[in-house]
Amino acid sequence: MAVPVTAPAERSRPVSARHFVRLKLRVMGNNFRGQGWRIAMFVGGVIAGLWFAATGFFLLAAPGLAGEPKYALMVAAFGGGLLVLGWLLLPLVFFGVDETLDPARFALLPLTRRTLVTGLLAAALVSVPTVAVLIATLGLVLTAGMLGGWAAALVAAVGVAAGLVLCVAASRAVTSAFATMLRSRRVRDLAAVLLAVLAALLGPLQLVGLAALRQADWDRLAGVARVVGWTPFGAPWTVGIDVAEGRAWAAPLKLLITAAGIGALLWWWSRSLESAMVGAASGGTAKARGGPVGGAVTQLFPRALGWARRDRFGALVARECRYWWRDARRRANLITLAVIGIFVPVMVNFGGTSFSTESGMEFAAPSSSPVLASLSVLFVGVLASVTLANQFGFDGSAYAANVVAGVPGRLELRARATAFSVYVLPILAVVAVVLVVVLGRPAWLGLLAGTLLASYGVGLAINSLVSVLGAYSLPETSNPFAMNSGAGLAKGLLTVLSMIGSAAAAVPMVVAAALLGDAWLWLALPLGLAYGLGAALLGTYLAGDVLDRRASELLTAVTPRR
Amino acid sequence: MTDQHPALALRGLAKRFDGKVAVAGVDLDVPAGSFYGLLGPNGAGKTTTLSMAVGLLRPDAGGAWVLGHDVWTDPVRAKQLFGVMPDGVRLFDRLSGAELLAYHGLLRGMDPAVVDQRAAELLDVLALGDAGRTLVVDYSAGMKKKIGLACALLHGPRLLVLDEPFEAVDPVSAALIRDILHRYVVGGGTVVFSSHVMEVVERLCSHVAILAEGTIKQVGTLDQVRGDRSLEDVFVEVVGGRTATGEELAWLSR
Repeated sequence: MAVPVTAPAERSRPVSARHFVRLKLRVMGNNFRGQGWRIAMFVGGVIAGLWFAATGFFLLAAPGLAGEPKYALMVAAFGGGLLVLGWLLLPLVFFGVDETLDPARFALLPLTRRTLVTGLLAAALVSVPTVAVLIATLGLVLTAGMLGGWAAALVAAVGVAAGLVLCVAASRAVTSAFATMLRSRRVRDLAAVLLAVLAALLGPLQLVGLAALRQADWDRLAGVARVVGWTPFGAPWTVGIDVAEGRAWAAPLKLLITAAGIGALLWWWSRSLESAMVGAASGGTAKARGGPVGGAVTQLFPRALGWARRDRFGALVARECRYWWRDARRRANLITLAVIGIFVPVMVNFGGTSFSTESGMEFAAPSSSPVLASLSVLFVGVLASVTLANQFGFDGSAYAANVVAGVPGRLELRARATAFSVYVLPILAVVAVVLVVVLGRPAWLGLLAGTLLASYGVGLAINSLVSVLGAYSLPETSNPFAMNSGAGLAKGLLTVLSMIGSAAAAVPMVVAAALLGDAWLWLALPLGLAYGLGAALLGTYLAGDVLDRRASELLTAVTPRR
Repeated sequence: MTDQHPALALRGLAKRFDGKVAVAGVDLDVPAGSFYGLLGPNGAGKTTTLSMAVGLLRPDAGGAWVLGHDVWTDPVRAKQLFGVMPDGVRLFDRLSGAELLAYHGLLRGMDPAVVDQRAAELLDVLALGDAGRTLVVDYSAGMKKKIGLACALLHGPRLLVLDEPFEAVDPVSAALIRDILHRYVVGGGTVVFSSHVMEVVERLCSHVAILAEGTIKQVGTLDQVRGDRSLEDVFVEVVGGRTATGEELAWLSR
């Protein structure tokens, strides 16, 4: 007989945000169990967070401590605005979001969307960065209190709390939406174009901003601050100052603006959250691909790899090439790299041009120098190679196939570097050409290309080793920005360390640019190419040996714990 | 078969995770040409044992030999001789079935023409040809098992190590996989597979080992282990399962 399904004897108790927070703390705690290095990482993160918090606190409290009311609004509006902007953009570019509580896990539970969103938001608020930001922004409360007494401090505190929620909601909504966008194969190209356009716009905007900053007097800047204060970016942070300066009527309006902003973000988040949950359960829609063309081997090799030999090396390169495009996580990395790679050096080198022309100096005399240009593209080369710092983590347990087949470590690393270079070298070429065109310095092409190749090459060498020794598992979700709790920090540290190492190894290129003068413009390309290629070969040679000895340990490290 | 070496030999394999013993010294000899079933309840250490046997997980102690070649000191030679289908391990699933087979074949150093021919045949026999260029990530669970088996078979290994090959497979596919494995053993190959489905083991295997709590509890030919009882009775007795008295979970029948 079937089991009769009766109503539960007692009414089920409502699920509140408290449960999510406790669940998150419990998951975090369990992650530490018996993992000394994870605890060390966490402590390191707390220290970094505290340092940031203290710095931010004193910066934001400075107008109050110094008794300088005229800067108070500016500091609050710009400082707070930067905070929100950081929460919006940094997860996309560098850090990812902490998905200790993966939304997909809640798909089967009878929770309303409202409960889920508020719960996940509350859980997201419990993290080192949010606490650090809270401490830092208490500086605003102090400022408001010293300038306007208790009432102003109280209002500022409410504003800060609301601002913090706004920050977290913004980061969640944006990463979630972007993840959904990248997951859908139809719009992924659109997403790439959109980002590229956005980046292209950022450059000129930056110039306008800088130029305005250079010319503007304090009054005009204060005007801008007032305007920012009325947008969601600045509203929550400036309410306390408003009260202190006798504009108490503005406080409720600004809090309303903030609340509306939070509401809109949460609504947006809940929309994309739903698709993330469903998407994770079904693994995406089946694609209407054309029938097979040619044999299995022909199908494996992308057309761009027609030159590759049909052997082990070729197969590894072909598979990696397919993965850099088909795996949303890797694709997100590539797109970010392309955007930043063009945007940062243009910004660094082009920054001075408009000032010099506007202040009546000679035509097209960019403030950039070979050293500055070398430094900026060195950053791009290092950034490109650091994408591979956890290259085995991208594979996860699938790497078992290579272990079982007994792929030699050197072959493995060389093939991976080659496949990545298939995408990166064109990007680097574009970076060099764009920079040369923007700067109007065709003679610098060799210098830039040589430095790019050298820094990318030494980066490949260092990151080959880092990827073998410091690999960590990535969660098997469909969100390309998801990180395991604790791993976010591990990733950050690893990234920073290998970037510093790579940059240090590429410094000779900059020194040469400073010392050798015009001769270097000709020597940079051949020497940079030789240096980069040699370093990459040596690095994969040495790291390959380590990989041969550690293949099974590496597999364990990148296999997600279940 | 003139091999004096067993197809797979395990000696004193042991592994602990975070202080918890997963496998506590497993000795096993899999004779060449046998169809060997490794039985055990969930968490008995089957996957851990097989992972250590094929070089995916480094054992704390003990060793594994494939046809006389040490998996951990002479991996290149040993790994050429066997094919593996791990469980709970992802395939490179953002390739289509044909692409995945080509990848595995070339990775094993096979001639491209042979890879093409065998891949086409395997896809055809396993009824995966219709999937066309669908990515493996979008395959059903049963299709994933089948493509995993195809990857393990592609280079014509002498020994097949399969972890839970019949898990989540529908009866039609299961029958197909059984047929292929049967033919493979008749043709001189050796199969080791783990399972907790008694019917399948009883039907296929020539030899059986029962693993529980990280050690081998019973081992021998199917008839030696089973005696005159059913395999399931022996298994439950060896493993020490409990039977419901009817007192618990009373609320289920309210």
